[in-house]
Amino acid sequence: MPLAIQLDQVTKRYRAGRSRTVVDLIGSNIDRWRGQAQDIHSPTRGRIDATIWALRDVSFDVPEAAGVGVIGRNGAGKTTLLKLISRVTWPTSGRVRVAGRVVSLIELGAGFHPELTGRENVYLGGGLFGLTRRDIDRQFDRIVEFAEVAKLIDTPMKRYSSGLYARLGFSVAIHANPDIVLVDEVLAVGDAAFRRRALEALRQLMTEGKTVLFISHDMWNVRRLCDQVLWMEEGRVRAYGAAAEIAERYMSEVNVLALANQSTALQSHRGGTGEIRYTNVEIVDTAGRASVLFVPGDTLVVRAAYRADRPVARPVFQVAIIDVDTGLVITTATSRPGDAPDRVEASGSIECCFPRMPLRPRQYILRLAITDSDQLASYDLVSAGPRFAVSGQGTGVEGLADEEDGLVSLPFEFVHHARDVRAVHQA
Amino acid sequence: MNLTKREVKGRYSQSFFGVAWAIAQPLATMAVFTLVFSRLAKMDSNGAPYPLFAFAALVPWFFFMNSVSSGTLSLITYRNIVTKTYFPREIIPLAQVCSRFIDFFAAAALYVLLMSAYGVGVGVWSLMAPVFFLLLILFTVGLTFATSAMNVFYRDVNPVVQIALQLWLYLTPVAYPLAVVPPRFRLFFVMNPLSAIVEGFRSAVVFNRAPDWPLTAISASIIAAVFVVAAYMFKRMDKYFADVI
Repeated sequence: MPLAIQLDQVTKRYRAGRSRTVVDLIGSNIDRWRGQAQDIHSPTRGRIDATIWALRDVSFDVPEAAGVGVIGRNGAGKTTLLKLISRVTWPTSGRVRVAGRVVSLIELGAGFHPELTGRENVYLGGGLFGLTRRDIDRQFDRIVEFAEVAKLIDTPMKRYSSGLYARLGFSVAIHANPDIVLVDEVLAVGDAAFRRRALEALRQLMTEGKTVLFISHDMWNVRRLCDQVLWMEEGRVRAYGAAAEIAERYMSEVNVLALANQSTALQSHRGGTGEIRYTNVEIVDTAGRASVLFVPGDTLVVRAAYRADRPVARPVFQVAIIDVDTGLVITTATSRPGDAPDRVEASGSIECCFPRMPLRPRQYILRLAITDSDQLASYDLVSAGPRFAVSGQGTGVEGLADEEDGLVSLPFEFVHHARDVRAVHQA
Repeated sequence: MNLTKREVKGRYSQSFFGVAWAIAQPLATMAVFTLVFSRLAKMDSNGAPYPLFAFAALVPWFFFMNSVSSGTLSLITYRNIVTKTYFPREIIPLAQVCSRFIDFFAAAALYVLLMSAYGVGVGVWSLMAPVFFLLLILFTVGLTFATSAMNVFYRDVNPVVQIALQLWLYLTPVAYPLAVVPPRFRLFFVMNPLSAIVEGFRSAVVFNRAPDWPLTAISASIIAAVFVVAAYMFKRMDKYFADVI
């Protein structure tokens, strides 16, 4: 398989801080003249000579017609990588080899001029991608159709919405007949329908034998589009391999890191009238150990301690699980008789148990409240409680499909019949 | 090419008179020069009508000045393109220079009108004008390569260039003929390639006579040297643009 992209021990170093000005030069010379030690890191003058290693000793190959997702935290070197491959910048050492024409979608519509019309900008942008006027003439209708800007094509682009702007930029780029397409988190703009078509277009390019490098924080899209994933961490390659596996490892690590750093104190500014408040909320597993990471099918227990300033009659304790990305999953409350005492005073605690949780691998956050018996007025409201994550490693429950994504994991089974079952009933 | 169009359209869109502004600058300066240098200072214009004499030099001068002025900032202005996409970056300052062609030709057309108004005929030496235009372009492009590349690294370059351009006008025989320069300053003027260019334009389209060949030859060699060095420098600095801009 011929290689499309080859990086060989690539290192990229940036000089950080402000660039050196004449004042700095004079300043350091005065210091030297006065016999003072040169302190280039003096706070008054700012850090001048600090360097940032954006990439360190990065080597990897991308075969032709591959789709590679590039993931990693902010500042891991993902964008620097794309800039090196697109020849916007050069490596400090090492070698970058690229076979074919690269089109980078680091920023959509970067070359557009707001005073010019959409039509003129298609020619301008296409020209920046190396297309001739004739190429663009031939592709023009398809570009406009894909971006769905036919109605505004003769309007200056300053009148375009930002989504429209990006759409036209994307459309020009993918019609520029690239061999290698670099996509840097640009699909975040535009509406859902366009995002879907953009992904479809990238997939189409891959089936045509083009290579796609795709930076995204959206593991869902990465797994849909890419067969390989490159995980960058602090300028180095952390892992490179099958998309599903690497993305999964990355997500659980990110979740653990994010959750390990969460503060255990409950937020101090919160709603409610305050007669009774939560004092501590913990997430524990079946053995009663505090935990933040679960697998689908685990049992999760929320243990909440409260204190009442004065006796409160028939309080209702609410615990809700919220999916960080998609919203409310479930609200539970002590609304049945016997769930909670008729009258509480001083302090106590309440436990809410979710056995065999059918939650998908995502991040979740708890919302807790204490309300009056009608659940109308609230005494306390913790809108952002502790977080926990569900990881995809090991399903835990028989019959749950690991590959399927969605909101919850429901147990399911298929049965196949050779005949139309409904027809039998009607007969 | 497209970038040139973008520059020109961007500059003149939403302005009522559009490209007419391109000729306003040399025309207004010519009027002031005529008042100050011809009427008040009684400057000698070698027998030609002074407005014509000044205009023939002001048109190439403004081409040079405007190109270098906006060209110096061009890489910074187009930093979006520099940092986001790869393409030969020489095109960016080049497009700035090219976008001034339209101003140049608009003013040149006006010059033809002025010639007929003053009853000055077109002679065979006017065929030399394209040669001097070529020298003018080479020098402008070369200088713009150098200033735009350096300005990426040190923004001090731009103010220095802007001030230099202000003074350069007076140190170039635009308002006066090279002939009035005293011999001891002459070498300084000879080293300035614009002297030969504006004098060359004048001899071609005002006086209809042969240019000062030795002066032209010296300038042409300086221009060639400037161009080669600047283009080489630009290419060398190119790979660092995206990192420091």
